[in-house]
Amino acid sequence: MSTRPAPGRTTQWLDGYRASGGDLFGDAPAGVAGCWHKVAAGLAALADGEPAALQEATARHAADLGLAFRLTGDEDERPWPLNAMPLIVGAQEWRRVEQGLVQRAELLERLAQDIYGPQSLVKEGHLPAAVVAGSPFFARRMVGRTPAGGRFLHVYAADLARGPGGQWRVLQDRVRVAGGVGYALENRLAMSRAVGDLLAGAHGRRLADFFAQMQAGMAASCRRENPRIALLTPGRFNQTYAEQAHLARYLGLPLVEGRDLTVLDGRLYVGTIAGPKRVDAVWRWIDTTALDPLSFDARSHLGVPNLFEAWAEGGVGMVNWPGVEVLESAAFAAFLPRLCRVLLGEAPLLPNIATWWCGQSAERSTVLSRLDDLALLPAFGQAAEGLDSREPVAAAQIDAARRTALIDALRRRPMDYCGQEIVRLSTTPAIIDGRIAARPFTVRAFVARGPDGEWTVMPGGFARLSSSTALPTSLMGAGDLSADLWIVDEKPAAPHTGSRIAGEPQVSRGGGILASQAADNLFWFGRYNERAETLVRIVRAILANPADSDGNVSPGASTLPRLTALLRDWGAISPATAQLPVAGICARALTETRLPGGVATLMRRRQQVGMALRERFARDFWRIVSRPMPSIRVDQPQSMLGSTRWLTEHFSALAGLVAENMVRSAAWHFLQLGQRIERAQAICRMARQLDPQTGDGDPAVTLGLLLDLCDSQIVYRSRYLTRPVTGPVRDLVLLDPDNPRALAFQVAEIVQHLAALPSLRDDNVPEAPLRAARALLGELHAASAADMTTERLAVIEVRLLSLSDAISARYFLQLDTEEAERRSRLL
Amino acid sequence: MRYSVSHLTTMRYAQAARMGQFNVRLRPAAWPGQTVADFTLALDPQPAQVIEGSGGYHVNEARFILREGTEQLQIESRFTVEVDPLPFFIGSASGPPVADLRRRAMEKRDLSNTAPASYIFASSIAEPDAGIARWASSMMEEGTPVMEAGRALMSAIHREFAYDTQATHTGTAPAEAFSRRRGVCQDFSHVMIIAARAHGVPAAYVSGYLRTLPPPGKERLVGADAMHAWVNLWCGEELGWVGFDPTNDCLTDTDHIFLGMGRDYADVAPIDGTFHGSSEQKMFTSVDVAPLD
Repeated sequence: MSTRPAPGRTTQWLDGYRASGGDLFGDAPAGVAGCWHKVAAGLAALADGEPAALQEATARHAADLGLAFRLTGDEDERPWPLNAMPLIVGAQEWRRVEQGLVQRAELLERLAQDIYGPQSLVKEGHLPAAVVAGSPFFARRMVGRTPAGGRFLHVYAADLARGPGGQWRVLQDRVRVAGGVGYALENRLAMSRAVGDLLAGAHGRRLADFFAQMQAGMAASCRRENPRIALLTPGRFNQTYAEQAHLARYLGLPLVEGRDLTVLDGRLYVGTIAGPKRVDAVWRWIDTTALDPLSFDARSHLGVPNLFEAWAEGGVGMVNWPGVEVLESAAFAAFLPRLCRVLLGEAPLLPNIATWWCGQSAERSTVLSRLDDLALLPAFGQAAEGLDSREPVAAAQIDAARRTALIDALRRRPMDYCGQEIVRLSTTPAIIDGRIAARPFTVRAFVARGPDGEWTVMPGGFARLSSSTALPTSLMGAGDLSADLWIVDEKPAAPHTGSRIAGEPQVSRGGGILASQAADNLFWFGRYNERAETLVRIVRAILANPADSDGNVSPGASTLPRLTALLRDWGAISPATAQLPVAGICARALTETRLPGGVATLMRRRQQVGMALRERFARDFWRIVSRPMPSIRVDQPQSMLGSTRWLTEHFSALAGLVAENMVRSAAWHFLQLGQRIERAQAICRMARQLDPQTGDGDPAVTLGLLLDLCDSQIVYRSRYLTRPVTGPVRDLVLLDPDNPRALAFQVAEIVQHLAALPSLRDDNVPEAPLRAARALLGELHAASAADMTTERLAVIEVRLLSLSDAISARYFLQLDTEEAERRSRLL
Repeated sequence: MRYSVSHLTTMRYAQAARMGQFNVRLRPAAWPGQTVADFTLALDPQPAQVIEGSGGYHVNEARFILREGTEQLQIESRFTVEVDPLPFFIGSASGPPVADLRRRAMEKRDLSNTAPASYIFASSIAEPDAGIARWASSMMEEGTPVMEAGRALMSAIHREFAYDTQATHTGTAPAEAFSRRRGVCQDFSHVMIIAARAHGVPAAYVSGYLRTLPPPGKERLVGADAMHAWVNLWCGEELGWVGFDPTNDCLTDTDHIFLGMGRDYADVAPIDGTFHGSSEQKMFTSVDVAPLD
């Protein structure tokens, strides 16, 4: 290693920085530029002068937080690309942005009130009817339906561009879903971890107040004092599910899917293990058109049938009110400057990107005459003839033939098109390939109502650094980076008081409500996890030499078929695989993904149900769950043994976290129930398969293997000085109430967990699952080792199966077997 | 003409359908030249509550919930209706040219459920289709009067498409019916709507009924034993909405009974909804439109 500093290795990272045109750092007034230098020096000090090292550390913190996202078409989540260099904006510059955003939020609110109310803007000719009717989100049924509190918007997001001259402008309004608000929060958390108190040192504003205000604002619009506000997600396959899960966890909101919810008599309920619970308000992350299949698109399976009735009758609050998406179209943006003057009597403080809607003849002529200077885009976010994408395309880049076709289409249906000025973006310093380089950026800013109904702007936002100069239209594109936005004051802010939020929250214990769907997922998480662990034990038993140190118990040829039979019965290997050599059997059992019982299949299933539980698990827990399996090489039995050891440690680590860190809530009970039922069944099955009375081979070897698989070898040896004998072995692995690996112990635990769950009855009579579990436990308590025949074990296995069914019937949503048939549609 | 209309629908499910939530759009919406009396809706099993309302577009909608499982649902609507003849001036009018009409439609300060602006844009079933747009372009020149364009479209569909009840079903995309040049009233109407909208002419899907028995000496109209569908084109302020029936190549007159109007079939489907249970279901419909005069 050379001792000379690498090219980027200096604490004055911004000294040689050059940007052409407008730049956030280059344009900064002296005070703010000083802040940039101070932050850059601080960052450099953290990373020993190496930008690449800082970037790596930041990426690690982002990964530790579980940040991830998907692009359309992605099967798996991608790691979150957070740039370690924040964007710094001075309070003075930001003040103007804030004022503009608040004015715009108010304007959008007034527009929604008019469109879904008297429609006077249309009647008086300020707004063409087609600008409203053209939006696929115009919810005609919502006309005349106003929210109980009178407020259509609670949360509003805007994409902002900073032009080369330093002028901030709105690229797009977002009122449907404030996508990115969770990522902004996560970026800040990751940055705080990566750079410590650098933010406070730079007098950067905190974000926590904004979220507190937003949440209090949502609650204030509800009628009940401690309202239940649920975050309605399209589900774990949605691109930003990770963001929704993080937000729900951060804000303590139940994360629900449409199928968790039911409308009864004009009110909304979430199905929980303690019966249906009222939901006061919904923060929807679903489009209006998908919210209620009965009132909007009958093909949607995301929403809740008849939810319309609930909100229309004031039975549930909606954030934001259904139908407000109509304001998001490009065509609408063209009218906002004019409407601002009409409705508010003032000029817009924050201009939007100049837009012309071709549905009016004068505007159409303007667009056609200036075509080469403009970008064209669909007016309503829908595909438009002659345009390949829904994003703006510079007209000058369209070739002659397609241009003629486009102009013809535009003549026939001018109302489908908008022309837009081509925006150039300011740049900002970023860490690119280990160096500081200029990158064009846009910012998504967030505005929310507080409890008094006043708008608050998040002092920060989600910054996106583009890989190209094209305008971003989605939150993140391939190759883009995100960055944290710091709003800095000249003087340190007054100590955090949280003055506007009502003091300390009420003390509360327990994990809140447990939705039936979540309970179901937890139960199966426990089952999949336990079954995978059992199979790994069996594979280990096959791979390892079960001879003890004295060599008096050797692996008889008879045990291998028994173990393979177990793998086959569980569906971990196919009958054909069972004929392979040992290493082949083991490798298949571990890597099998086509059979339902393979270890890899079970781990994937566990991951899938776990996704929907992400907000309930600690980050450490989720990180262990998402670790990829070690590679399995059939030609290297030794390394395979290492992999099974890795897997065993993996299961132990999870078990440890559950035992030591998980709150003893209903969620924990369901996780444990799944695990205990699975383990109880596995013990029965293994004891039946390893019956020394059947098959050939040394009975002691067979029983020794059973002790191994039930982790009871050591206890046995300390208790009995003989080789394994049927009676004592059966007693230890089946009936001993103090052996945590014994059947009786599992059933006793099941009884305890069921008894701890809420009851639907008020007569103190235990519910069906608890009665069944207690009956089984009673029998086990009364039984002697000699009673525990293979036949008896088969009967117990069946009873465990029906106990599992009884638990799902009582606590989980009653879905039909096939997802597709869950909710059928007419016509 | 006065008619007595009855419409019986029976749904049978392979297994009991639970928590069924239904929309029924069988009560005729108000329409010029048409007077409805004595509307009744009979449901079996009878739900606890039937909520009558409007279905977004120009259509009436009744919503009800069946909580208990049921294997069969019967829905029967009856009403009498008086239909005035088509005003003579409409039958002989030509209306403004397509380019002019487009401008008028955009300028009309109306966002109601019968406003032209509400029917000028693509909808979920009537999606834009370049093939249909091209096919229609010679009939929809900028200077062609809209009534003439509408008649040309209607006749072209009648001439080029085969009426075939086996070729399509309620879920068939209009583009598919177009490429096969066959289908039923629903397909023909959707194709005509897409063609008109492609040239900026507001077009709506109308569901309704046809008289079952032909007047003496006339042929029975096609599609009279079931519900019928046709297209309303907005033909300017003076003419308003004019009904074009591409299935029978005629303007709607006293044989056509208006039920509701939407952007496409989905807005006016007579029955839809959701339920829990097997998706296997059978539907039987019988319609009777008896002249009373």
